[in-house]
Amino acid sequence: MQENKLSSLLKLRGEITKPIRLALLSGWMLLFLIFWIFSPMKALPTPTEVLLALRRMFAEQHLLYHLVVTLKLNIVGLVYATVVSLLISYLGTLPLFYHLNRAVQLLRYIPFVGFNLIFLTLFTIGFPLKVAWLTTGMSFFLVTGMTAVIESIPRMKYELAQVLGYNGWQTFYTVVARPTLPHMMDIVAQNAAIGWVMITSIETYARTEGGIGAQIYQYSSTNNLAEVYGLLMLIGLIAAVEDAIFVFLRRMLFPYSTLAERA
Amino acid sequence: MASYEDCVAGPLEGHVERREALLKLERVTQSFRMNNGVELVVLKELDLEIIDIKFKPQIVSLLGPSGSGKTTALRIIAGLDKPKFGQVLIGDGEQGSLRRVRAGDVGVVFQRYPLFDDLRVVDNLVEPAVRIGKMSRKEALDQALQYLDRFNLVRQGYSWPVQLSGGQRQRVAILQQLITGKKFIVLDEPFSGLDPISVSNAIQLISEIAHQHTLNTFIIVTHDVSAALLISDHVYLLGRERDEKGNPLPGARVVKVYDLIAEGIAYRDNMEDLPRYRELYKQICRKDFPLL
Ligand SMILES: Nc1ncnc2c1ncn2[C@@H]1O[C@H](COP(=O)(O)OP(=O)(O)OP(=O)(O)O)[C@@H](O)[C@H]1O
Ligand SMILES: [Mg+2]
Repeated sequence: MQENKLSSLLKLRGEITKPIRLALLSGWMLLFLIFWIFSPMKALPTPTEVLLALRRMFAEQHLLYHLVVTLKLNIVGLVYATVVSLLISYLGTLPLFYHLNRAVQLLRYIPFVGFNLIFLTLFTIGFPLKVAWLTTGMSFFLVTGMTAVIESIPRMKYELAQVLGYNGWQTFYTVVARPTLPHMMDIVAQNAAIGWVMITSIETYARTEGGIGAQIYQYSSTNNLAEVYGLLMLIGLIAAVEDAIFVFLRRMLFPYSTLAERA
Repeated sequence: MASYEDCVAGPLEGHVERREALLKLERVTQSFRMNNGVELVVLKELDLEIIDIKFKPQIVSLLGPSGSGKTTALRIIAGLDKPKFGQVLIGDGEQGSLRRVRAGDVGVVFQRYPLFDDLRVVDNLVEPAVRIGKMSRKEALDQALQYLDRFNLVRQGYSWPVQLSGGQRQRVAILQQLITGKKFIVLDEPFSGLDPISVSNAIQLISEIAHQHTLNTFIIVTHDVSAALLISDHVYLLGRERDEKGNPLPGARVVKVYDLIAEGIAYRDNMEDLPRYRELYKQICRKDFPLL
């Protein structure tokens, strides 16, 4: 029995129990820690140094304030980007807006920093500039993912609505908007990561308000590596929590989406 | 208007009262441009007329070999595709008046039984009933639960569609079309991929639904000869006609109609034991069934 359990660790779609999963997680974390402590890279600060740096920043450098600034940008940007992207993706189902949708998707190839000048002419440096920039940057990616979800809806589903006699709005709501919500949520969760890349660059560029990005910039320019790594780990922690929230919300709101298709 | 109580159970006694046409295909022609640029004529001047039979459940079959254009015809009947020429006319409730069919007039049970996967089974019935069947939410829920009860789906009422078996899915798909008050319901190959027992169950189920909803007409699209004979009152054989040399002409049409009421085998139990059924079956399989 015991052997069976262990062999499923390397089996395709092998199933493991919760205690084993927890043991695995701790094992991997331990491995990471050992690797870190005994790392030959001399530039790398030790775990203790990083923890001390984090404590110092919280106690003396208003890290909590910077955290709130960044989280506010993160959440507001994510909400705006989601709303804007959903709108552009939904509109893309209409021939009139198809090309607009395509154009937005193509913009994701253009280096994101290239848009700063456009936003500088529209806003002064501050929160609105950062939000607008982040929203725009994220939307290019979100629209691409969301449009792909909409395009993968089988034609049969539209025809089912059609033969039932649904009108345009009813069909849109029943076939396009509602059933894709869990997938849209996945797209947002996936792209939240890109959002963090953008947030740190935006905050590096527009530093007056502070924020984690501004802090990283400041500490790395003064070569305080323990602080920099501490901040990076903090971002990692936030990302893990955000991911877990998305998974939880999906299970709560869309229970059917976790069931596998059987036929 | 006829109700369930008016419906005569069992075989027809005496004469059959036939009334006006309910659905009419007039010279329906459909073709597709294939990848090599050649135009493939699938249906050529297809004529078909479904006549209302008073107080009787009505099930007709469109029988034909694979690739003969049954699904093509079904999509045109349902208003999903426009034919290149010709038209489909449908009775709009008033005696004798026909108009062109529109998508939404004819219910379709597609071969793979698509449902709304983000709605529980009961809501797959309630939502269309409220939107299209013009019921209040409460009426719709009562009706849906009654249907589910009658068709042995009560325990699945609050399941998600992906949790249903194939047969359960089929029933929900049929009920979904019924509850919106569709006068016509077309089923595409409802017996394909089923074992013989399931086929006879499906036949029984569809007949049962038809008997309880004598105001509906069911059109079964199938290549299963025995199922078509067992379930229908009329069978329309779809195929290509031949020229003098025996070569098929382009485009399928109705090459033969079997009136199973006139043959005396419609609406009967144990039809498979009737000599006339066996004769017809042999005749269709050996002689009439068109090769493509
Ligand atoms: N959109 C299309 N483009 C090109 N050819 C098509 C198209 N739809 C149908 N056909 C062709 O029309 C013919 C009839 O197809 P159809 O699906 O109606 O057959 P069927 O009678 O339903 O067959 P089956 O019993 O196998 O389902 C086939 O030769 C098919 O290749
Ligand atoms: Mg077919």
